Amino acid sequence: MILRLWPVVIALGLFVSPLRAQPNEIRKSVARINNTMQDANYRAPWLPGQLGGGSGTGWVVSADRILTNAHVVSNARFLTVEKENDPKKYIATVEHIAHDCDLAILKVQDPAFFKGTKPLALGGIPELESTVSVFGYPIGGERLSVTQGVVSRIDFRTYTHSVLDSHLTIQIDAAINSGNSGGPVLQAGKVVGVAFQGFSGDVAQNVGYMIPTPVIQHFLKDIEDGHYDRYMDMSIGIANTLNPAMRKGLGLTDDDRGVMVSSVQSAGVCAGKLEVGDVLLAIDGREIASDGMVELEGERVLMSEVAERKYLGDEVKLSILRDKKPMDVIIKFDRAWPFLMQANSYDATPPYVLFGGLLFQPLSRNLLGAYQFQNDRVNFFYDNFVTKEIYKEHPEIIVLSSILPDPINTYLTEFREGIVDEINDHKIRTLKDAADALAEKPEFYVIKFVGYARPLVLERSAVDAARERIRKRYNVLAEQNILSTESTSASR
Amino acid sequence: MRRAVFLLACLLFTVARDVRAEEVTPETPLSVVRVNVTQQPWDFARPWGKRPPYSRRAIGTILSDNRVLVTAELVANANYVEFEAAEGGQKVPATVEVVDYEANLALLKPEDNTFLKPFKPLELTHASIGDMLSVWQLESTGTLLVTKGQMTTAEVTRYPIDDSPLLVYRMTTPLQFRDSSFTLPVVKDGKLVGLIMRYDNTTNNAEILPAPVIEHFLQDAKKAPYEGFARVGIYSSPTRDPQFRRYLGLDGNIVGGIYVSDVQRDGPAATGGLEKGDVLLQVDGQAVDQDGNYKDPEYGKIALAHLFSTRHFDGDVVKCVVFRKGEKKELSITLKHRPVESYVIEPYVIDRAPKFYVLGGLVLEELSRQYLKEYGAEWKKKAPEQFVYFDRQQNELFKDGPKKVVFLNRVLPSDMTIGYEELNQLIVSKINGVAIQSLSDIPAALNKATNGLHKIEFDGEPRMIYLDAAQISANEAAFQQKYRLPALQRLN
Repeated sequence: MILRLWPVVIALGLFVSPLRAQPNEIRKSVARINNTMQDANYRAPWLPGQLGGGSGTGWVVSADRILTNAHVVSNARFLTVEKENDPKKYIATVEHIAHDCDLAILKVQDPAFFKGTKPLALGGIPELESTVSVFGYPIGGERLSVTQGVVSRIDFRTYTHSVLDSHLTIQIDAAINSGNSGGPVLQAGKVVGVAFQGFSGDVAQNVGYMIPTPVIQHFLKDIEDGHYDRYMDMSIGIANTLNPAMRKGLGLTDDDRGVMVSSVQSAGVCAGKLEVGDVLLAIDGREIASDGMVELEGERVLMSEVAERKYLGDEVKLSILRDKKPMDVIIKFDRAWPFLMQANSYDATPPYVLFGGLLFQPLSRNLLGAYQFQNDRVNFFYDNFVTKEIYKEHPEIIVLSSILPDPINTYLTEFREGIVDEINDHKIRTLKDAADALAEKPEFYVIKFVGYARPLVLERSAVDAARERIRKRYNVLAEQNILSTESTSASR
Repeated sequence: MRRAVFLLACLLFTVARDVRAEEVTPETPLSVVRVNVTQQPWDFARPWGKRPPYSRRAIGTILSDNRVLVTAELVANANYVEFEAAEGGQKVPATVEVVDYEANLALLKPEDNTFLKPFKPLELTHASIGDMLSVWQLESTGTLLVTKGQMTTAEVTRYPIDDSPLLVYRMTTPLQFRDSSFTLPVVKDGKLVGLIMRYDNTTNNAEILPAPVIEHFLQDAKKAPYEGFARVGIYSSPTRDPQFRRYLGLDGNIVGGIYVSDVQRDGPAATGGLEKGDVLLQVDGQAVDQDGNYKDPEYGKIALAHLFSTRHFDGDVVKCVVFRKGEKKELSITLKHRPVESYVIEPYVIDRAPKFYVLGGLVLEELSRQYLKEYGAEWKKKAPEQFVYFDRQQNELFKDGPKKVVFLNRVLPSDMTIGYEELNQLIVSKINGVAIQSLSDIPAALNKATNGLHKIEFDGEPRMIYLDAAQISANEAAFQQKYRLPALQRLN
C-alpha cells in the first residue's frame, strides 16, 4: 500500500489540436480524445462541481474499440474522438475504466470512425536501451506528434492517477508531455506501452513513463467477461531476511531465500491463511529471494508481480515456513482490496449527510484535498487507515467536515473536523449508520466524537425548526447522498 | 526551548534598527547586571553527545538577598553562567539556584557574595491595563536604554513549555536590538513588573512574564525541594450552547459553569473526585463562567488557570462546586504540581541527559517532546506523524501505560544489523517476549535470549527482527570504538 507518495509526478493532462493527413497505418489508428469533464463537489456535495475540458490520445485496440488512459476520460460528461484525414467529431462513451491501472476502453457510437483504421497489435516488454516511438497529440503543436526514445528502466512505480496503486512501469527518455496520455508507444510496428505519466517542472529531465503490455493485457483479459474486477492484491507486508540472526531466528539456512511476513491485513485475502512471522519461500513454485524478488520471464521482479498477474477467482500457491516447519498455503483471490478511501476517486458523487447544518462526510483522499484539515487525528486516521487497520472499527471514517452556520449550530464550531464515534449510543461505522441514527426521533441528538469527551448535542425540536431555513438559505438540493463503500471504489 | 530564545534573538535583531529609542536615560544601571551564559543542549538525535556550545548575553534583574532573576530559557542546559557589571565590566561566575522551566523563571547567585553589594535590588509591583511601563536595555557603554510602552492586556496563555498556561502581561513598544537583549526587565515606578518573554517585531507586541508569577516562584523558591506551580488537571469545554445546557439539565437558575471533558489520570482533580462530564460551577466560592473564567479581584475576568496555578500553591486545598446528574456537589481538591517525569511523553528534558540504549547498533530512546523538537520549529509537521499524535493525545492514548514509549531512533549499521539499515522511528513493544515500558526494562529483557538470539518486536513493520546475542557481546567494544561512542547506554 502506498500512501500519498510522489506528489511531483503528475498524470499527463490534456491538450488541443486539429488534424491533417498522415498516410501511415499506425497514424490512422491513433485518435485524439476530447473530454468535457465535471469534478465532484466536496465542499457543497449537493451541487455539481467545476466543469473542465482537455484532450488526450487513444488508439484502436480492436475492431471497434479505443484504448486510452483512465485519467484522459475520468469524470467525463461528454467525449469526442477525432482522427487524421477525417473532419468529423465522433461521440464516444466509456465502456470500461480501470482507475487502479489508469486504462480505459471507449466505444464510438458511429462505426464509420473505424473505417480505414487497423487495430494495433500488442508486443512484449522492450529490451533496455532499445528505441521506441511515442505517438500522440501533445502540447507544442496541432498535428500528430511522434517522438523517439530509449527504454531506460523497468520497475514498479506508483500510478499517480489513483496514487494507491503501483504496477510495472517502463521509463523511457522520450519527451512525453501533456496530451500524450493514452497514446501508443511502438516498437517494430507493435504497441509496447501506453504513455501515461511524467515529471512536472524541473524535477527530472527526459523521463517519461509508459504502462507496459503485461498491465495492458491484464486489463484487457479482466474485462473479457464484461466487468472490470480490479487488480488482486495479497495485502500483506514482507520484510527481508538478509540478516544472519534473522535467518537463524526464522529457521532459515544460508541460501538467500525467503521473506518474512510482517503484516497480514485482516480485510485481505491472506487473512487467516498467513501469520506474522511466516516465511514465504516460493510463490507458484518460483523461489523468493531474501530481498523479496522472484524471477519472472527472465526478469527479476518483486514477488507481488506474481499476484499482479492473477484475476478474481484465481489462486496462488505459497510455500512457507511456519514455526520452522514447511507447509503449503493456497490463497484464493476471491475479492479485490475493499478499502480505497486513500485512492483518488473519480466518476462518483460525493457521499454526505447534512443534519442541522452539520455536514458529515466519509474521509477520503478527495475530501482531504477539498478541505485541508488541520486536525491531527483526522490526518493520523487517514494515514494509518490500513497500516493500523482502523477500517476494522471505522470502515468509513465519518468527519464533521463543515458547518453551515445557523442559530442552532453557532456554538458547535469546536467540533469541526471531529471524527464521529457514536450517535445516541449507536456506534457509527459508516455514513449509513450515521444517516440511520439521525433518522431516529430522540429528544436530543447526542453525537460523540473520537477522543473528545464533550458530546455535541442538538435538540430535535431545534433541528426540525431549522431544517427548511437551512435548506433555503444554503440552497441545499438534497440532504444526503449515501453510497456503499463498493460504489466509491476505483472501478466500475 | 532554545528555539524560543533564539527566535527572540532574531526578532530583536531584525527589529527597528532604524527606529530611535523613545528615551535614553543616562542614569547608572543600579539594579541590573549582564548575564553571560554558555548553553550546550544534549543532542536527542545522537543521545550520547551534546550539541556544540553557544553563548548568549542577557540582562539579569537584581533582587534582594543577593539573587538575580532571569528567564529559565536563558539558563536551559547551561554549562557556565557569569555576571558582568554593566559599567566597568567586572565578571564573576554565577550558579543557578532555582529554575522552573514551566514558569520560565530562574534565580541565579554570584559565587562571590560581595559582587552584587554595590547594586540596589529591585522590588516587585503589579501592573494594570493602561499603565505606562519601561523596558530596560543596556547600551554597549553600560548606560541604560529605556523604551516605554503601555500595558494592553493581562491574560492567561501558554508558556514556552506548552502544557502550562499562566498569566502574562502584554504591552506595545518599539524595542531596538541591543547586545544582551534577553530577559529584559519591565519596570514601573522603579519597581519590577516582569520580564519580557516574547517579542514580535512586526506588531511591536511584547509578552511579559508578570510579577504575580514571579512572586509565586520566589515564594516557592524559599522551600526546598522546589515544588513548582500547581495544576488542577482538567480538560474543559465551554457551556455557552443553550441546547447543551438543557441537555445537561442546567436549568435557568444555574448560570455559567464549564464542562469537564476529561481529567488527567491520577491528577489533583481526579483524586479529588472530579469526573469527566461534571460541570464546574464554583471554585473557592467564585463563580465560574460559561467559558471557564472567573472574576479575579485584580484582573477581572480571567481564565481559571490563574486561580489554580498562580493564586494557589502546591498543597493548597480548593473547594469546588460541580453539577453532576442534576445535583450540586462540593468537592475538595488538593492542588499539586505535576512532575515532568509523570508524563508518558515528557514535555521537556532540560538539564538532563537523554536516556538511550545502543543494542547491537539499534539506537533506542524514550520518546519525549524534546526529541520531537529536534525536527525544528516546524516539528509538529516534520516529526514522525505518529509520534506527534501520541504526544498531543497522550492523556487519552496512554490511560493504562506504558510508562514511557521506547522507540528505535535509527540503526548504526554494522555486520550485526545487515538488512536492518533502513529501520527507524519504530516503537519497540517487546524484547525477548518482555514488554518494554521504559529503557530500564531492557537489561533484564536481554537476559532472556532464546537460542542465542534476541527477538525485538515493534509496533509497526517489520514487526520483529533478531539479533545475535553472542555477536553483540563479542563486537560491542569494537563497534563502540568504530562509531566513537562515549557510552553504549545511559539509563538514568
